Amino acid sequence: MKRKLSTELLIILIVSIALGFTVNMLSPNGIALVRDDSERFLIDSSKTGSDNNQNQRGKLNKAGFYQPVNIPGEAAKKFFDEGVIFVDGREPHEFQLGHIKGARNIDYKNFKEKSKEEKLEILKDIKKDQIIVSYCGSDSCEISIDNAYEMAKAGFDNIKIYLGGYKEWKQSGYPVED
Amino acid sequence: MKFLSNKYFLIALRIIVGGIFIYASLDKLLNQEMFSKAIYNYKFLPGIFINFFAITIPYIELIAGIFLISGIFKRGSSLIISILLILFIVALVQAYARGLDINCACFELKKELENADQKSDILLRIIEDFLLLAASVIIFIKSKTIITKEIHQ
Repeated sequence: MKRKLSTELLIILIVSIALGFTVNMLSPNGIALVRDDSERFLIDSSKTGSDNNQNQRGKLNKAGFYQPVNIPGEAAKKFFDEGVIFVDGREPHEFQLGHIKGARNIDYKNFKEKSKEEKLEILKDIKKDQIIVSYCGSDSCEISIDNAYEMAKAGFDNIKIYLGGYKEWKQSGYPVED
Repeated sequence: MKFLSNKYFLIALRIIVGGIFIYASLDKLLNQEMFSKAIYNYKFLPGIFINFFAITIPYIELIAGIFLISGIFKRGSSLIISILLILFIVALVQAYARGLDINCACFELKKELENADQKSDILLRIIEDFLLLAASVIIFIKSKTIITKEIHQ
């Protein structure tokens, strides 16, 4: 019996798509139907604009951790002046070429592979409610965001993301070191 | 090139290609969020389609792989696998050309020299996908010939 190619294609696609959506709906690890990255680059001035609420934590999300908050350059400088810890997510060789003065290098590529216990061990001298500013090379790299989420998931609940990164910091004439 | 029509050669090809697709689908099925992020990192698809593909592609790979090995829909499954491979190759080639660092989930456009290792990884995956594509196209063409022969007999 000759079976039409289009029938075969339709059957495979319909079975796969139906199965995919059903499992995704029933699974506790299912994902949203539309990926939402709208807040990824949003700098919320209500959380970073005035002195009163600059230190405010991000919202507690469904996954059970406090969402990191994006901050502009001025807020990053203010935190820097207050002695807040800065975490640079780039690889060591990039970090060595230049970084924000006093920043700590936590290489995202390496860090994301670690277990929660190992992550806590790396950050053991930082209190869970202490502010940490995560950054990377510039606004074209997203390690700052990804690293911030790794730290937030490990239990640190006041993470800020400085999207402008090292490039903007250096251009602003703020303190750097090699 | 007579061996290309050899029954056992085609069965072996189906098991290899189908097996690789089933294996590749499992990791994505178990880590859909990570797969969604991986697609995002390719900067290839508009945001609203990313999760649709993250949800369906692993199952298309799985079902097409099972059908290909079992021989139920050889032509349909080999054609779908070929189309998927072409999509993967296009995504990888554009990532390679643009210097995207897709493995580390960052998109910094690095200098070519610094990125040499990452680039050769992507290149290797492009070559692998081309080999799989060749195998899949052979299965598609030869399955058609066999069906046609059966009808004429």
